[in-house]
Amino acid sequence: MSRNVCVSCLDPRLSRRGFLKGCAMAAAALGLSDSMVPRMVEAASSPARPPVVWLHFQECTGCTESLLRASHPDIGRLILDLISLDYHETVMAAAGKQAEEVLHETVSKHAGKFICVVEGGIPTKDGGVYCKIAGRTALEILKEVAPQSAAVIAIGTCATFGGIQAAYPNPTGAVGVRDLVHDRPVVNISGCPPNPISFLGTVLHYLTFNRFPELDGLGRPLFAYGRRNHDQCERRAHFDEGRYVEQFGDSGHLKGYCLYKVGCKGPGTFANCPAVRFNDVDVWPVSAGHGCVGCTEPGFWDTMTPFYERLPGVRIPGDEGIITKAEDVGLKVLGVAAAAVGIHAAVGAGKRLVAGKKQEKADQKE
Amino acid sequence: MLYERKTAWGFLFRLYHWSFALSILALAVTGFYIHDPWISTANEGSGSFPMADWRYCHFIAGYVFTAAVLVRLYLLVFGNREESFLGFAPVTGRNIKNVFTTLAYYLYLTDRGGHRLGHNALAGTFYLFTLLFAVLQMISGFSLLYPESGFWQTVAGKIFGVQQEIRFYHFVFMWYFMIFALVHVYIVVWNDVWSPEGLISSIFTGDKFLPKGQEGAGKRA
Repeated sequence: MSRNVCVSCLDPRLSRRGFLKGCAMAAAALGLSDSMVPRMVEAASSPARPPVVWLHFQECTGCTESLLRASHPDIGRLILDLISLDYHETVMAAAGKQAEEVLHETVSKHAGKFICVVEGGIPTKDGGVYCKIAGRTALEILKEVAPQSAAVIAIGTCATFGGIQAAYPNPTGAVGVRDLVHDRPVVNISGCPPNPISFLGTVLHYLTFNRFPELDGLGRPLFAYGRRNHDQCERRAHFDEGRYVEQFGDSGHLKGYCLYKVGCKGPGTFANCPAVRFNDVDVWPVSAGHGCVGCTEPGFWDTMTPFYERLPGVRIPGDEGIITKAEDVGLKVLGVAAAAVGIHAAVGAGKRLVAGKKQEKADQKE
Repeated sequence: MLYERKTAWGFLFRLYHWSFALSILALAVTGFYIHDPWISTANEGSGSFPMADWRYCHFIAGYVFTAAVLVRLYLLVFGNREESFLGFAPVTGRNIKNVFTTLAYYLYLTDRGGHRLGHNALAGTFYLFTLLFAVLQMISGFSLLYPESGFWQTVAGKIFGVQQEIRFYHFVFMWYFMIFALVHVYIVVWNDVWSPEGLISSIFTGDKFLPKGQEGAGKRA
């Protein structure tokens, strides 16, 4: 692929070789045998492209940005050959009224057949007024579009689990698509952003088999979210052999040791980052010397922070806002228990002493 | 006063107690290493494998712990009178009354303890809490050990949440066991000092010494 991402992405004249390569890559990511590649090629080159409506809600467009940098297949191939991306606010040519007309037209014309992709969380508090597009709330748009779709793909952690706006204290009442859409199949492609391969693989699987790949309990496809980053990490040997980065910039860090002690959340994060990596240049956070922050997990802003500590802090009940380390709390409680034991023992000893003296006096009197 | 020797704890119960206690000790030490590894291998290419070894010990101890918990759960139903649930759980009038008698005795308010052959009901209540935490610790531990298992993901997912939350609770529960151990050992020694029942030796021999013809020990010695 040319380094000139913009030009090559928007160039629809992809060679057949490149196209087959893309299908083979997607099949490999899905864990399908190479005998499935021809079927996938056939499905992907079928002229009947499924229409796709891409909804943007509370998000930063990072997932779209990430998708724009996909290369197997690239975004041009995806939107011109594989799917018919009828509505996508970021990449569509139409704007304003025309764009809204396209949305209505697609939804009514292809009712029950189109794929609805959702990017971004949906605020539910106060009637959902915190996110409005063309005068309608995200909640209304989703309630109108999703039930008429064939299936829904939630892309990114915001659309899957609410993301950063759902972090404590979640002022807008943001939720993910699965909390609102129950009558359509919903696939969660979580991540901040998710790897485009996970999204494209899911789409190609759907095109080839007319159903979604197998999902885990959180609705994420197992081919991409079936294993923990920790178990696939290139620094895993350093973990087992006890070689850790003690702090950023130390000699261990320069030697590429394990980032466990500086808060890597790989051990708690299900994703395919170490296996698939990003942007054709074979990088992911850990390969660049930063721990995993666990962005594919529900509520990662609450459960994975502080990003540079092993475990989240304990929120002291009744005292709003004070958060402290779990071991500090543990040690304090242990200290209090030890003090109580000491006082109890001292009282007992004093009592014995007094009783002993009384006994002595009684003996003397006798 | 004449004392007589009575059997309180069966062999299986004593086996449970010591495998539970020693596995918790091993689990806490290895668990702390896993939480915050204090040994770092300085040189590469040596034969050391510390984290893998500590984790291995943690998992072995975890299985011993699990076996111990399962034995205790079995004894709650099929154990002797002292070991079974109704013997000490604060669910019968006799046991509820015993909680308060024991509390008063422990606070030096009375000289008559709530002594009996088996657990007093105050201790029994905390043993039930310990057992509850042990079961939770087991569930969280197994779901951290087998993260890809659908079964553990579902069970622990319902109780705790995602892996990181499971890890957090697994760590927090450990502190319960540490605090419990401190208080438990203190109260046992205290009881041995204040009433001559041979409480400490009973967990080795299974036998306690009670005043003849009476279930509970008498006055404070």
